Amino acid sequence: MTTDGSWRHTAPERGDAVTISVDGEPVRACTGETVAAAMLAAGAAFERDRSGAPRAPLCNMGTCFECAATVDGRLLTRTCLIPAREGMVIKTPGRL
Amino acid sequence: MFDLAIIGAGPAGMSAALTAADHGLTVVVIDEQQRAGGQIFRQPPETFAGSVLHPTAGYGWATELIRRFEADPRLTTEFGWSAIGVLHDDAEPDGLCVAINHPEHGTRMIGARRLLIATGAYDLPVAFPGWTLPGVMTAGGVQTLVKAQKIAPVGDVVLAGAHPLLLLVADLLIRDGVPVREVAFAQSIPTPVDMLRALGAVPGHLRMLTETGAILARLVRKRVRVSSRTIVTAARGTEHVSRIELARVDRRWKVTGAPREVAASHLVLGYGFSASTELARQIGCELVFDSPRGGWVVAHDERLQTSVPGVFVAGEPTGVAGADQSRAEGTLAGLGIAASLGRAVPAAAFAEAERGIHASTRFSAVVQSIFEPVRGALGDLATRETTVCRCELVTRGELDDFLESSPFVSNVNAVKLSCRTGMGPCQGRYCENSVGAILASAREQTIGLGGRFSAHLPIKPVPVGDLRDLDAVTEQPASDGSDTGRSAS
Ligand SMILES: Cc1cc2nc3c(=O)[nH]c(=O)nc-3n(C[C@H](O)[C@H](O)[C@H](O)COP(=O)(O)OP(=O)(O)OC[C@H]3O[C@@H](n4cnc5c(N)ncnc54)[C@H](O)[C@@H]3O)c2cc1C
Ligand code: FES
Repeated sequence: MTTDGSWRHTAPERGDAVTISVDGEPVRACTGETVAAAMLAAGAAFERDRSGAPRAPLCNMGTCFECAATVDGRLLTRTCLIPAREGMVIKTPGRL
Repeated sequence: MFDLAIIGAGPAGMSAALTAADHGLTVVVIDEQQRAGGQIFRQPPETFAGSVLHPTAGYGWATELIRRFEADPRLTTEFGWSAIGVLHDDAEPDGLCVAINHPEHGTRMIGARRLLIATGAYDLPVAFPGWTLPGVMTAGGVQTLVKAQKIAPVGDVVLAGAHPLLLLVADLLIRDGVPVREVAFAQSIPTPVDMLRALGAVPGHLRMLTETGAILARLVRKRVRVSSRTIVTAARGTEHVSRIELARVDRRWKVTGAPREVAASHLVLGYGFSASTELARQIGCELVFDSPRGGWVVAHDERLQTSVPGVFVAGEPTGVAGADQSRAEGTLAGLGIAASLGRAVPAAAFAEAERGIHASTRFSAVVQSIFEPVRGALGDLATRETTVCRCELVTRGELDDFLESSPFVSNVNAVKLSCRTGMGPCQGRYCENSVGAILASAREQTIGLGGRFSAHLPIKPVPVGDLRDLDAVTEQPASDGSDTGRSAS
């Protein structure tokens, strides 16, 4: 993705390629990369707030919870803290 | 039961762990990141071949500290685990139980005789119109994505705030070929001569100073506009930031003129740091308000013990003072904890640790005085429509109306109970500053007088099912203390 507002990879040597699923769409990631970084680089949308407004990672250090999503069925998981793994299922149904 | 549990593997936690182990203590270190280093020295993942940590100029010691910490077989480490609260152990008079949680492995309890809070700091949040839009991110957030995750923003970037970290981040971005449009500082930027005069009494920090000068020169060469007395008043866009409003401010950061608009896809905010004190709050430690040192900070005695016996604190939660001071405090805390458990610690060791702190304080005090945020003016950036509490969607207008209709409310916890500010997943970390400033200006009182949010277990929310495990048996270190093995999670 090279649209303005998204993110791109800089280091060519990353971990082994894995695929995670974000709201049913395959997203390419690599081992070691956090789910949030993979989603940013793929231009994937994060969970919307209760009013339906878009949100995205703010702190990238586990304090703000703006990157939280349902990961493998677990609610409120901070995607900026967890490394991507093959087959991980991320859902962003919107906040309660 | 471990002798010592340390929360946080930054410079403070790492140096405390090594010092405590040198005095024969069994130590467990818990950090929710995947690797040691803390925020400033966040390491790239081990799987990224060829990507290693390059500490900022002046922090060459970091590489060696991390290497020693990672190679030390005496230490037990729990990476990827969050400390969500601390309980007193009913069975053991001086025992503490730390509840830790992992997104895949649930909750465990770890028993320890002493606790060290080395939880660091996070970027000072400032509420203004549009700050919830995707594309708005903190300086720390962008820095760690660029340095540790090796990704860079696409499109034009504006950096705004009041902290020198903005210059480091702007430089990082430029090195990755990112078009940086402007770096805006709310204060008048101290010239290198001002800095030199202020830092003249502080030997050993010249490398950092020359680095700052070199960065400024590189920005100028790349035609990046570096403006002073300029503040960001709004971020605009529908699904993502596309425009940013910047306005002139006076000496006290009050907006003086109509804003100008700059097109950009990313806005990076760096107003300074807030100490991470939620664990100390949950345990019941006394806190004091100290604006230049990061707002609410944890009170302690000369050996860094908090008001709660057995609970110590080191690094940014004692006051945001930079990596050198965090490391020095970690060493002192390690000695103090060893002494409190009856280990023989020579007076000379304490004296040397105190000298280390003294040396770094001379530097940090200068930095703090130059870069103290003007909290009242930052509070005024939120308009009536601005979302102040990002989690519970509470606007400035709702707060103002409540404060007007409830003239006897003068404490932020009372505001929290009525308006729900601070009740969402971030537990008030991102609205306490704004609520405190807004309350202070409505009541014409100091921010410190308005008090602070309290914190409860779990300090970082977990699914309800994960709390059932809180009754779990408390874990013990291996009996001989030697095969305490590292958890691979
Ligand atoms: C992004 C960023 C950049 C910075 N850059 C500079 C700089 O260039 N120069 C400078 O002097 N200072 C800088 N600072 C200030 C910086 O905080 C200190 O310099 C230094 O990192 C502080 O060390 P510390 O050990 O006190 O805390 P930190 O390094 O912040 O370490 C705290 C650790 O505790 C962990 N933690 C916190 N709460 C929990 C919990 N509940 N459960 C589990 N783990 C937890 C965190 O994951 C973190 O790893 C920066 C700060 C940030 C946030
Ligand atoms: S981006 Fe703030 S918690 Fe993940």
